[in-house]
Amino acid sequence: MSIPIIYVILRSLFAGAERWLRLLDQRIPELLWNTLSLTAAVTVFTVVVGVALAWIVSRTDIPGRKAWQWLLALPLVIPPYIGAATYISALGRSGPVRELWQGSALLVNLFGDYPLNLISFWGVFFVLSLFTFPYVYLVAGASLRKMNRNYEEAARSLGLNAWQIFWKVTLPFLRPAMGAGAVLVSLYVLSDFGAVTMLRYVTFTAAIYFQRAGFDTASASVLSLVLMLLTLAVLGIESLTGKKSKYYQTAGTYREPATVNLGRWKLPALFFVGCVFFFSVLLPLGILAYWGSLGVRMGALDQRFFAFAFNSLKVSSFAALLCMLSAMPVIYLKSRYPSAISSMIDRLAYAGYALPGVIVALGFIFVFNNHLPVLYRTFYMIALAFVVRFLPQAMQAGEASLSLISPRIDEAARSLGCPPWQVMFKVILPNMLPGALAGGALVFVSSLKELPVSLMLRPPGFDTLAVRVYFEAQEAAYHLAAPAALLLIFVSLIPLRYLLSKY
Amino acid sequence: MIINISIMLLQLIKEAFTLLMKRKGNVFTLALTILLAAALFFGGCGGNQTRQALPAGDAAAPGDTAALPETGRLVVYSSRNEKFVQSLLDKFEADTGIAVEALHGANPMQLVEEAQNVRADILISNDFGALGYLDRQGLLQGANPRGIESIPPLFRADDNAYFALSLRARGLIYNKDLISYAAMPKSNEDLFEARWAEVPGGYAITRGGNAGMIGHVSALRYQWGDEKTAAWIAAISTNAAGIYEGHGDIRKAVGRGEHAFGLVNNYYFHQQLMEPKHNNVGFIYLDQGEGQMGAIANAAGVGLVRGGPNPGSALVFLEWLLLPENQVMFVGESLELLINSQYGAAYPPAVAPHVVDFKDLKIQEMSLKELGNYFEDTKALIEASGLALTLK
Repeated sequence: MSIPIIYVILRSLFAGAERWLRLLDQRIPELLWNTLSLTAAVTVFTVVVGVALAWIVSRTDIPGRKAWQWLLALPLVIPPYIGAATYISALGRSGPVRELWQGSALLVNLFGDYPLNLISFWGVFFVLSLFTFPYVYLVAGASLRKMNRNYEEAARSLGLNAWQIFWKVTLPFLRPAMGAGAVLVSLYVLSDFGAVTMLRYVTFTAAIYFQRAGFDTASASVLSLVLMLLTLAVLGIESLTGKKSKYYQTAGTYREPATVNLGRWKLPALFFVGCVFFFSVLLPLGILAYWGSLGVRMGALDQRFFAFAFNSLKVSSFAALLCMLSAMPVIYLKSRYPSAISSMIDRLAYAGYALPGVIVALGFIFVFNNHLPVLYRTFYMIALAFVVRFLPQAMQAGEASLSLISPRIDEAARSLGCPPWQVMFKVILPNMLPGALAGGALVFVSSLKELPVSLMLRPPGFDTLAVRVYFEAQEAAYHLAAPAALLLIFVSLIPLRYLLSKY
Repeated sequence: MIINISIMLLQLIKEAFTLLMKRKGNVFTLALTILLAAALFFGGCGGNQTRQALPAGDAAAPGDTAALPETGRLVVYSSRNEKFVQSLLDKFEADTGIAVEALHGANPMQLVEEAQNVRADILISNDFGALGYLDRQGLLQGANPRGIESIPPLFRADDNAYFALSLRARGLIYNKDLISYAAMPKSNEDLFEARWAEVPGGYAITRGGNAGMIGHVSALRYQWGDEKTAAWIAAISTNAAGIYEGHGDIRKAVGRGEHAFGLVNNYYFHQQLMEPKHNNVGFIYLDQGEGQMGAIANAAGVGLVRGGPNPGSALVFLEWLLLPENQVMFVGESLELLINSQYGAAYPPAVAPHVVDFKDLKIQEMSLKELGNYFEDTKALIEASGLALTLK
């Protein structure tokens, strides 16, 4: 599974000193700045917003608290490249808002020419933040709800007010959750391809894709190696800070955390939460619904559309099946017969997850074109790449359900004369099945929305819905992109319930 | 071994099914079961499907293709705008019954990468230089399709491995609200001057890796040699106010008045004339004066890939494409110029008065077939002269 990655590394090492020097001199500093500044800005911003939202909806008496708790997780189902396309279609240079602005003499005279330029750092920052903050929000919300009330009451009894308690007690408790959320967001920004290319902001992923599209594969490999190192650095930072501090909760005396009375802050808080929800869910969905209905009336749901949907279904369900089948033995071995090998396999699986799709795709092209020509440019190649990228999703879900099955049950089956493989198939698997299926559903949805791998590996005549959304949106044919985008979003809603219950 | 595993898998799936059937009312798991079954079904039949032969159409298959095995499929790689090509391919499917698998947005270099593992039958390219380059690499194959004599020898390879159907000329689209015809640059030489950076909104060019830009630079190298061409690239990349991914972005930006003019192919001017708004644009064919080099031209056409999987269908396609009505359709909405203009490409009323026939233009004397000899080094020269191949 790691062979494609090793291939990319080798290719980059043999790219030649001259190419390395030229890239180091010209491209890499600029790309590093573009990528790191964006990652840092989005991460800091989403941590602040995510923690604030989590605190408001889980610890205060904001009206409609229960509803907000899941409403604010909804942006997760909108892939950022779709979000970017909706914003460009509405606020971009050819969008209706600009036309209105330029058409109104009052606005132009008062504020000058149309001020919003989405094709900029701030445009990318805004779009990526809107659709990634739920990672922080969910993780922070989960630990806020688990926090023991005793600590805060102790602080209050020592004379701290609500504000001081938040800073001195609650926030330090949240540090691990904030760290985990920040890593999720930074990994996402590093690997995002669709939103940055739509908004013409060149980060490493975009540069790799464009170099590859111009068939300068050696340069693409060099850039990939740098991006891999960046990804490793983010993971390294996480494991460093994660070890430094541990927070213990005494389980015996656990009491539900208290709710803060917002008082006169109720309206501002409601406004803030509402604003975030409006910009990250309501507005994009509204714009999509507008374009979608326009498209349907213009006949976008034709035979071609259903062929694309069928392609998506085919490759995603095959990837989900492969993931379920390969996840089960791995997690079974890991939990029942832990060894150096099983933990290495486990680590490797997670490595694929952290790697940006463009790199996985690049490696797959090398390997399949040179060594596996039978599968080259078939949809099996895409499905296998999805397995590399999304296997951990299936593994996590399976592990959760396997941990509920006591090893005693295995032993009982063994004592009744079953060989180990029979134990696995007759006893463990049937009991693990709900978890494994849930994992399969997660993989299915991730594969459906996946863009860079599908784009770079697609065989002739095998466009998927995600690829179509990307192409149509780039051609500004939003009425053709919207129906596919809406379909992707609605299918993504299915496993959201599972995701939410996990946190 | 493999049989054992598949039996085990089947057993597992059977058990999964019975287990799920016992539970009732759980929509979620039911959906997943269907998904699982669907995955198995597709996984199982997908392999056959790619190899399965569809019933072959015989509408356009003449006698001399009968020797080649007819697979009922055709794989087309295209670097041309999908909108123009897809309707052509749809018509081909309808006319012949041959199923087309198209890869739009393909780079000609993909054929080089896949040389040991050929997947494509036909390459449709916007850049005659790319076709010539691939032919020189031995990746295209000569043919003798019926109707090939309708293409002038200047626009096809000696062995007909590739040929052109439509033409475009390079030039400047300008916004008539911002700049007058008289004030515009008229030649490639003029673009050396720094004063064009001072016009309202400046001017726009594409990134260096754009096929049109590569062809333009190749022609300049033929005309001027590398040193002067490098200086020209450096001048335009310093003076340009905007560098864009493609020509479509440039014509729109010029139409909206964001730039005074932009370096594009002539049919982008035709396309901008079709816009409901922002269409007050004009076009300069460069170097038309006495003693000047003439407009730089490029052509779009097709190449026959050597060793493709469906050689029979490929020949059917070439002969079908050479029918006059299909040559006209190849141009289609792109609003390029048809090489065989006597076949009467129909232009919309907004465009027709502005179309300049190739016979009335002064065209650079370099043969388009020469472009292929420059293809590879041109990219290196562009990059070394300071114009990035990709957007930064």
